[in-house]
Amino acid sequence: MEWLADTLVLSRLQFALTAIFHMLWPVLSTGLAIFLVVLEGFWLRTGNPLYYRQARFWAKLYVLNFGIGVASGLPMEFQFGTNWAPLSEFVGDFFGSVLGFEGAMAFMLEAGFLGIMLFGWNRVPAAIHFLATVMVAFGANLSVFWILSANSWLQTPAGGTFSEGHFHVQNYFAAINNPFMLRSVLHMSLATVETSMLVVAAVSCWWLLRRGAAEAVRSFFAFSFQLALVILLVVAPLQVVAGHESALQVAEHQPTKLAAIEGLWSSEPAGSSPAWSLLVAPDEASGRNRWNLAVPGALSWILEGRSSLSHEVRGLNSWPADQRPRMVGLLFYSFRLMAGIGIAITLLLALTLLLWWRRGLSADTLSSFPWLGRAWILAAPAGYLAIEAGWLVRCVGRQPWTVYGQLRTAEAASQLPAGEVLASLSTFAVLYAVLLGCALWFGARIIRRGPDLSLMPPVQGVPQEAGIEPSAP
Amino acid sequence: MDFLELFMPAVWFVILALFLLLYVILDGFDLGVGILSLTSPSETQRSILMTSLGNVWDANETWLVLMGGALFGAFPLAYGTILKALYGPIYLMILGLILRAVAFEFRENAERKRPWNLMFGLGSVLAAAAQGICLGTVLAGLPTDAQGHFTGSPWIWLNWSSLLVALTLIQGYVLIGSTYLILKTSGELQDLHRRTARLAAATTLAGALLITLATPFVSSTLKERLFDPQFLPVFVALPLVGIALIVQLFRSLALEQEVWPFVYTVLLFVLSFAGLGLMVFPAIIPPSVTIFDAHASITSLVFMLTFIGVLIPIMLFYNIYNDIAFSGKMPHPAEAE
Repeated sequence: MEWLADTLVLSRLQFALTAIFHMLWPVLSTGLAIFLVVLEGFWLRTGNPLYYRQARFWAKLYVLNFGIGVASGLPMEFQFGTNWAPLSEFVGDFFGSVLGFEGAMAFMLEAGFLGIMLFGWNRVPAAIHFLATVMVAFGANLSVFWILSANSWLQTPAGGTFSEGHFHVQNYFAAINNPFMLRSVLHMSLATVETSMLVVAAVSCWWLLRRGAAEAVRSFFAFSFQLALVILLVVAPLQVVAGHESALQVAEHQPTKLAAIEGLWSSEPAGSSPAWSLLVAPDEASGRNRWNLAVPGALSWILEGRSSLSHEVRGLNSWPADQRPRMVGLLFYSFRLMAGIGIAITLLLALTLLLWWRRGLSADTLSSFPWLGRAWILAAPAGYLAIEAGWLVRCVGRQPWTVYGQLRTAEAASQLPAGEVLASLSTFAVLYAVLLGCALWFGARIIRRGPDLSLMPPVQGVPQEAGIEPSAP
Repeated sequence: MDFLELFMPAVWFVILALFLLLYVILDGFDLGVGILSLTSPSETQRSILMTSLGNVWDANETWLVLMGGALFGAFPLAYGTILKALYGPIYLMILGLILRAVAFEFRENAERKRPWNLMFGLGSVLAAAAQGICLGTVLAGLPTDAQGHFTGSPWIWLNWSSLLVALTLIQGYVLIGSTYLILKTSGELQDLHRRTARLAAATTLAGALLITLATPFVSSTLKERLFDPQFLPVFVALPLVGIALIVQLFRSLALEQEVWPFVYTVLLFVLSFAGLGLMVFPAIIPPSVTIFDAHASITSLVFMLTFIGVLIPIMLFYNIYNDIAFSGKMPHPAEAE
């Protein structure tokens, strides 16, 4: 239990815990926001109240999720000052400005228009309401951009020089557009949309499989399922490509992380055709795998699309122990979990679309293949799992560095009394467990209650007084 | 030092002060309404209170996030030093804000409202108290070494002067929350909050007087500034204007005006803020680290200013639009259906 008195370990644990928990919520805030834009756009074009009711129903899940996302985002920002003060000083010139930009451009946009989007249906003209929904979605996605740009900069710092314990920015645009930025932003944006659509599909399938659901409700969810599938058709295959591209940029810029996620201990020279491990039992103390299950000759195909390596791929043993990540097993399996889920979802999608094409995808078709609906219900938590696993690979794999190659995590941490950090860490652990439980409970309740199919769209041109409805006592 | 090296840090000091002021006013009334919700006589009335914040609390809280990001970017040293020194109260504030936010969302969906009501109110109290403690501790000064790193005790914030500021800030939030509710409600609820406004105005005034009297004893730097002949006219004028505003506030409450109590309260907040700003400027980590020691590189400050500076009027514009869209009285729940 030595780690209980180690401020560095506790601060890292706290960052990991708060980041893992926080990451659960922006997924819907960004991805589902785009879905809401699509629905409202349909409604404005066609005037069909179905789309309006769709928008109102999914917005309920959106709000529940949003509040927790905002609240759990606060410790993320303030932790840089409280627990990582040396980091703040080291990189503040750039990293701090980016967080400032995120606040001013993204958060404020999202927050400033959220009120109108949620409560303004009867208060503002339809076009303004649509604008508000678009701005909420735009703001949320801009924040993905800034956060991923900032995090990418920690992975591949660019745009300036390091001296006297400071990063001096020379070219802001080069720093923002650092080598990892573009593909990371794309990968994360696709992940939020994909997982949000998995949530929509899961909720829809749950209703479609539910015995005794009214016909109107079934057709409501058949529509949302189909729309989610159409969006997934675009997003899921793209994500497989974007994920692969992200792995390639790791290979190019972060060889230590690549070696860990591939479980490679010894270097593979150019011209060789090494095997690609599917399963390994890493033994970090002796620097080898106890056993592995591998596909012969596959590594060069995955990394370069050819039968032998054109460059050397370095193994973990080629670096001193204090210059490469630990927890190789975690990195190796998190990566496979993420990639496996991404591929499995794409296959599930292909199967469902095949069925749709052959049989027509109505509520009835789905009831004759209940396993298909169940698979979609499982796909939603799998989507979240893939995102968390991806972040683990990204940030644990960057260790022992906070700023890759420049600032060690051990040097980035504030010197604090361990008791203080332990107190905040345990408070978060208890609080977040309760919050997650409550959010799932209330989310399930919203889903069980289903949509309000008697809801009528606001009549344009007739000013209505009752705008916000206070909840009944 | 050339012009930019004097000018840019000062500009960012002003921008940060502006963000903080906007936060304290806007989320101040949210937190004040949250605290007042603990005293609501009925669930219906509490519903009206909470609904009056539904469309604004999130945007209002965002000014704090923005202030944090801007402080991080413009004065990285201050961000690290101040937050590390205030570890305890910062996390208490975050805890309070989390409790408030989730209680808001969960209460909407809950059948049993009581636990969430309590969480909403107590979260607001906790956040307000922790903010007051942070403010009080920073004003009293943080001991630092030559590099500007904090050298004091982790319990530096636990003292009577910080507690006094915390209590006063809570009163101030209750005051601005009450006057916001006078604006947004009618009838019985409005009468109730005229009474809470009067009470809170009296206690805030008492707190402000005590703080003013205590200041020379808490910090020698602040004492010097207060009695600096250069600043003396300002520090004589500020309390006089303050007293005039408080008289006006009580008058408008007695006349049952709806908008003016809120306006006078906002002006009182602005005035107190101007006073505090003048007392500490140019220190960013009082007493000894100034904005000229702690700022990010001038190119960073210029770059941030071009991005964020342009956005400030735009942010204000759509926030004001939001307020206009929802202006007017809260409908009674029974009438809203």
